[in-house]
Amino acid sequence: MPTDRIRNFCIIAHIDHGKSTLADRLLEATATLDSRQMRDQVLDSNELERERGITIKLHAVRMTHRAEDGRDYVLNLIDTPGHVDFAYEVSRSLAACEGAILVVDATQGVQAQTLSNLFLALDAELEIVPIVNKIDLPGAEPERRRHEIAELMGIDPESVLEVSAKDGTGVEAVLEAVVDRIPPPAGDPSDPLRALIFDSYYDQYLGAVPSVRIFDGTLRPGMSMTFGAVDARYEVTQVGHMRLGRVPSASLGPGDVGYVVAAIKAVSDTRSGDTILDAADRAGELLPGYQEVRPMVFAGLYPSESDGYEELRDALQRLRLNDAALQFEPETSRALGFGFRCGFLGLLHLEIVQERLDREFDVKLVSTVPNVKYEVVMADRRRIVVENPSMLPDRALVESVAEPVVSARIVAPSAYIGNVQRLCHERRGAFKSMSYLDPHRVEMEFELPLAEIVLDFYDRLKSGTRGYAALDYEFLEYRPGDLIKLDVMVNREVVDAFSVIIHRENAYHHGRALVRKLRELIPRQQFEVALQAAIGNQIIARETVKAVRKNVTAKCYGGDITRKRKLLERQREGKKRMKQVGSVEIPQEAFMAVLQLDGERA
Amino acid sequence: MIAHVYVHAPFCARRCVYCDFAVTVNRTPAGATWLAAVSREFGTLRAWGDAPLAPELDTLYVGGGTPSLLDPRLVGRLPAALGRGNRNAGPKRDGPETLEWTAEANPESFTEAVAREWAAAGVNRISFGVQSFDRATTEWMGRLHSPSDAEAAVARARTAGVDNLSLDLIFGLPDTVSRSWETDLHRALDLSPPHVSLYGLTVEKGTQLFRDVTSGRTPRPSHARYQEEYLLAAELLADAGYEHYEVSNFALPGFASRHNRAYWSGASYLGLGNGAHSFHDGRRWWNEREWEEYAALVAQNGHGRAGQERTSPKRSRLESVWLGLRTAQGLEVAGRSVDRVVRRWEARGLATRDDTAVRLTPLGWLLLDDLAVELDLALQPVAHPPPVDAPADRANLST
Repeated sequence: MPTDRIRNFCIIAHIDHGKSTLADRLLEATATLDSRQMRDQVLDSNELERERGITIKLHAVRMTHRAEDGRDYVLNLIDTPGHVDFAYEVSRSLAACEGAILVVDATQGVQAQTLSNLFLALDAELEIVPIVNKIDLPGAEPERRRHEIAELMGIDPESVLEVSAKDGTGVEAVLEAVVDRIPPPAGDPSDPLRALIFDSYYDQYLGAVPSVRIFDGTLRPGMSMTFGAVDARYEVTQVGHMRLGRVPSASLGPGDVGYVVAAIKAVSDTRSGDTILDAADRAGELLPGYQEVRPMVFAGLYPSESDGYEELRDALQRLRLNDAALQFEPETSRALGFGFRCGFLGLLHLEIVQERLDREFDVKLVSTVPNVKYEVVMADRRRIVVENPSMLPDRALVESVAEPVVSARIVAPSAYIGNVQRLCHERRGAFKSMSYLDPHRVEMEFELPLAEIVLDFYDRLKSGTRGYAALDYEFLEYRPGDLIKLDVMVNREVVDAFSVIIHRENAYHHGRALVRKLRELIPRQQFEVALQAAIGNQIIARETVKAVRKNVTAKCYGGDITRKRKLLERQREGKKRMKQVGSVEIPQEAFMAVLQLDGERA
Repeated sequence: MIAHVYVHAPFCARRCVYCDFAVTVNRTPAGATWLAAVSREFGTLRAWGDAPLAPELDTLYVGGGTPSLLDPRLVGRLPAALGRGNRNAGPKRDGPETLEWTAEANPESFTEAVAREWAAAGVNRISFGVQSFDRATTEWMGRLHSPSDAEAAVARARTAGVDNLSLDLIFGLPDTVSRSWETDLHRALDLSPPHVSLYGLTVEKGTQLFRDVTSGRTPRPSHARYQEEYLLAAELLADAGYEHYEVSNFALPGFASRHNRAYWSGASYLGLGNGAHSFHDGRRWWNEREWEEYAALVAQNGHGRAGQERTSPKRSRLESVWLGLRTAQGLEVAGRSVDRVVRRWEARGLATRDDTAVRLTPLGWLLLDDLAVELDLALQPVAHPPPVDAPADRANLST
C-alpha cells in the first residue's frame, strides 16, 4: 500500500465522552467487522484469552475505507488509554499517528482531560479532527459546543463535525475527514528500518509481541532485528497487522502499523517507546519524541502470605511486558517481610496493577500507603532520592527535602469555585489562574504538591462538586518544603510501613488522627499495645489498644464440637489475614489507615 | 464401638434469661413421647450401623433441659431403651470398671421421689444446676429455686446414696447483678461436692439476655469481671484441694467426669434426642434442635438427623488442638514454630511446658480460643508468615 493511501490516527476524549462507541462505529462502517465475524471474533478472542492468558485489547486495528474519491484507504486506528495517569501512554500512541479525532460530549462540553489530551496532540504536531458527539441526547447543545471548541482551537466552527456514535449519524463524514484532513505518513521503504514500539503483549507461544509503527524502511520475516535501547538480536518470523486477531502479511512498510513476532523471550527487550532496527543495516538515529516513563506514585506491594514472594515477582515481570510504566524493585520491610517497592504513573495505575495481580495472577497483596518520590539534599551536599518514606535519613543529616509539584487543571461548574479553592488551599495548593469556558463552567489552575493529590484528593474534589469536577495534572517541578518524617511505633518499635513524609504544619494533627484510627483498626491482643506517633525522638501522640481479657466460651454442650470449631475456623481465617509485626498482629487495612482519615486532616 | 451415650431431655419449667439451649418450656413434659422417640431413634441408628454400642457402656449422660422434671421412672428405663437390659441397673459406686451414669437436675424439681427412683435405676452421678446461692441472682436468671432448695437437693441425693455430685455455677454476670462470687464459691464448697463446673455467662443471640443487653436494659457483662472471677475461682478451688482438670471443670481426686473427657479425647460418642451430637468413625452428625421438629421427624422417618460432616485432617487438627488445650493434661506438640509460640505464652504466664505437653494456666484458659487458633496456625504445614528480621540497611530507622 503506497503511503499516500495510509492514515494513522487515534481518538482522544475526556472519559465517557464516547470514544469506544465511536471506534465501534468506525469498525462497522468500514466493514472491518461484519456481524458474523464479530460473533466469531468475540468467541475466538475469549478462547484465546482463556488459553493464553493474554488480555486482548483493541490496541491498533487496521480498517479499509473506500473514500468518496473512489480509492481505497488503509485507516489505522491506534487506541489510547483514557486516564490522567496514562498521559505517557497517550503520548506514545500519539507519536505513532499523524492525526487525532478529538471527541467532545455535546452535553458536557470541553473537560479537563479534553484539554490535556488536546495539548498533547498539538505538541505531537497532529492534525486534529474535532467532533461533537452524542448529539442525539436530549441535553445536547451541539451548536454551543462547536463554538466552544472552535474558540479553544482557533478554528472555524464549521469544521467541527456533529456526530452521534450511538445511532451512527455523521460517522461517514468522520471517515472522510480522516482521509481528507489527516496527512499521509512519510518515509522511504528503502531507508534503514526504524519502527516505533508503542505497545506490546505477551503470548505464551510467540513470546513478547510488540505493536509497531514503521517510520522508515521495511520489516519482513527472515530479517534479523535489534532495538535501539537493548542490544539483542531476534529473527523476525512473522509480521502483520491487527484486525481483531493477527493477520499476517508479507512485510510492513513506511506508515504501516502492525505487529512483529520474533520469539522475543526477554520481556525487558520490548520497551515501549524504543525503536526496532535492522540488525544488518542499523539506522543512524533512533526515533525521537518519547517522554521517559516517570513513575509518580510509589507503594510497597507485599504478598499476604510469606511464601508468595516469587509468585509476586513473576507476576510483576509479566505485567511489565505490556505496562512499560510499571517499575519495581525488591525491598524488605520489617513489618511486611519481602516484597517490592513499585512505581506507578498515578493512583489509578496502582489500582489497575493491584487488580490485575489479583485477577490475572491470583496474587494476594498487602499494599502500603502510596507516596511520591522525594529529592533529598544531604548536609554533605550529596543528593539522594527517597521512594520509601521510611528511608528518609535522620533530620540532622538532611539539608533539604524537595517534593514533586504538579500543575493541576480543574474544570468545574462555577457554583463550586469556593469549594475547589478551599480544598486546594487545605492541600497546600497555590492558585494560578481561572478562566470561564462558558458562563457556567470554569477552568482553574493550581500548583499542588503531588503528595496531596495521591491520597484522597480526587474523591474529596468529586464530593465537593457533586461529582461535576474534572481533574487533570502534569508534573511541574521539584520544590523544597518543610517536610519531615512521621513514624508510628507499635510497642515502641517503629513500623516502617506506617512511616509518612509530611509537611511539618500537618504533622501533629495527622499523627494524632493516624494513631487514633489505628487504635480502631488493630484488634485487642493478648497484651496491651502502645501506639505512638513520633517525629524523630519526639512522641506527639499516643493511644493504647487494651489487652483482651477473655475470649473463651467454655461449654462444648452436648458434644457439639462442630459449632465451636466453625467459630474457630472463622477466627483462624481472620488471623491469617493479619500481618505479624514483632508480636503484634496488624490487619491489612491498618496499612491503608491514612486513607481513612476523612476530613481529619489539617 | 461406642462406649459413651448422651441423651437429651429438652423440657424446662421455664427458660432462663441466658439460655439458648435446645429446651422446651413445659411444666408437664411429654415424657412418654420423649422416651419413645429416643428409643425409636436408637433403633434406627442401630439398624444403620451408626450405633455399635460397647457391651459395657463407660458413660451415660442425661442432660437437658431439666431431666429432673420428667417422671423419674422414664429416666430409669433408658438403659432398657438402649438395649442394656438390667445389667447396669442397681446402685453402684463410681469407679473405672462401672458405668458412670450422670443425670442433670435442678434443685427445685429434684424431689425425694426423683432421688430414690434415679438411684434405684443406677444413676450414680448427679449434676445440679445451682448457678448461684444468691436469691436476687437466681431470680434475675429466671431460675425457680431458692438457695435452700440447692442445699436440700444435695442432701436428698446423698440420702438416696448418690455421693458423686457436681454443682454448676455461673460467673461473669452483668454489673447490675450484685452477687458476691466469692460467697457463692464458699457456699458451694461448704456442701463439699466432689465436682464443680463453672460457666462464664455468654450473651447468645436469641436469648432474653441478648435482647436486654442490645436494648441497653442490662449492661454488657464486663470482661474484667469475667477475668477476675474466673481467676478467683481457680485459686479458691485449688486451695480447697480441687484439680482444675479442664477449663471449666474442677474435681476432687478421682472424681473427674469420664463423660466430658470422652468429648475432649476424641472418643466415639452417641447423642440421642433433639439437638444431640454424635461422633463416630470420622463422622460427626447432629439432630434437629427443636423438640417438636425432632419428634415429628422421628415419628415420620425413625430418626431426627439434621446434618453431618466428615472430619478432615485440617478440621481434626484444629479440634484436637482446641480440645487438648482445654485440659490440664495439655497437648503434645513439637516443632520450631510451635516452640516460638509456646515460648511467648510462657513469658506471659499463659502456659507451661515440660517434656510431654503444653498446658495452659488459668490465665491462658481465659484466652483459649485465641491460643488454640494461634497454635493451630503454627502447626500448619505452610507456616504463618514469620516476623522478618530487620535488614542491616534500615539501622537508621530507630534513630
